Amino acid sequence: MDRDLISKKELLDTTGISYGQLYRWKRKQLIPEEWFIRKSTFTGQETFFPKDLILARIDKIVNMKDDLSLDQVAGKLSPLLQDYELRKAAFVERNIVSLVAIHQFAGKDPDHTVYSFEMLLYFYVIDKLLQTGEMTMEEGERLLTVLRDHFPKFEGKPCDLIFIRKMGVSSFLLVSSDAHVYFDNGIKIVAKLPMVELIEQLRGKLI
Amino acid sequence: MTGESGMDNYGLPDLSVNGVSDAVGGKYGNVRIDGVIKVVGDIEAQSFKLNGVIRTTGSVKSESFECDGTLKVAGSLSASQMRMNGLVNVEGALSGEWLRLNGLLKIKGDCEFERVEGEGGFDVDGLLNAGSIHLKLQGRGKAREIGVESLYIRQGAKSLWSKVWKWLFPKFNPELQAGVIEGDDIDVEHTKADVIRGSRVVIGKGSVIGRVEYGTELQVHPGATIRERVKTGG
Repeated sequence: MDRDLISKKELLDTTGISYGQLYRWKRKQLIPEEWFIRKSTFTGQETFFPKDLILARIDKIVNMKDDLSLDQVAGKLSPLLQDYELRKAAFVERNIVSLVAIHQFAGKDPDHTVYSFEMLLYFYVIDKLLQTGEMTMEEGERLLTVLRDHFPKFEGKPCDLIFIRKMGVSSFLLVSSDAHVYFDNGIKIVAKLPMVELIEQLRGKLI
Repeated sequence: MTGESGMDNYGLPDLSVNGVSDAVGGKYGNVRIDGVIKVVGDIEAQSFKLNGVIRTTGSVKSESFECDGTLKVAGSLSASQMRMNGLVNVEGALSGEWLRLNGLLKIKGDCEFERVEGEGGFDVDGLLNAGSIHLKLQGRGKAREIGVESLYIRQGAKSLWSKVWKWLFPKFNPELQAGVIEGDDIDVEHTKADVIRGSRVVIGKGSVIGRVEYGTELQVHPGATIRERVKTGG
């Protein structure tokens, strides 16, 4: 379950950025506090990062910082798009979520309904699980309720969605990303999705 | 004690307190406090001018912040422009754009600034993260970790001041102590650190460093001790 980590030194070597830049981006909140993972090693305390996340993020910052100020870059990186809204019709047109899912979960909403970024995210997550064939439509309904009721409570902090099944009965859990969760042997983990990555993916598709 | 007056206070009331009393937190335009005052709750204002012995039970937030005397903040303190003269004690984090220090700083949390300059001493339990730090140490400078673009630390002249500090606080040598110092441009003296990592590193007299990793340049004063030095990168 552990994420692939990269040490600070390796990170600077592979990306070619300097200590100063890294600390500057941390101050500007371009790199979230939670990504700085302090661990004891034989050489003393060292800082590690979730490899895939930090490499993608640094790549983005490096590409954007030529055209934008760091504060502008920060605005583009905050995990949830605060003021982003999209009409249902436009959302359908963008073809981000399958028509089947939209029909099932947003069928009753008229075309001019305006969705927040969070709502789009819920559809995206559900569609993702439907596409893999791991989740049924009824379970999707339940997942939508779980996300709606509980995802906002994380207030943008990283969390994972865990989808488990035992003897055919399914359940959804939202847990903060740094938490350890253990189950009894009868539990099958159908899917574990880091919401941060899904947010990034959806942002990439929307912007 | 509070009144609507003055310009540029964004429609918020000003707060002016003096003597020995309590003040209530909240949102203000300009805050002026003189005397021995306890501020109850979080307080936010455009500008702060504090004189005397001030204690808060909550956090403090401001655009500009000036303090002479002693200040104790139970929460965190953030202000864009800060001038601190005297003793400042913050239980939470300290952050802002610019800090001009003339005195002693004690921070339980992390400390973040674009620019720090002045003289005195500091004790940061967390990470001291700044664009540039340019300080003359009159007392001890201590942090768990220091991360910077540029760091310039000198020992203040052994004046009457340093004697006073040493007398007030026995082990109060004007030296820098840190677990890890990382930055692009590091220039220090009288420093004790486990590890210093940087691109251009200058280690001055009186320093004892466990390990120095440098990218482009390393200068070491003959009066400094470095156990291990490593050149990194290309």
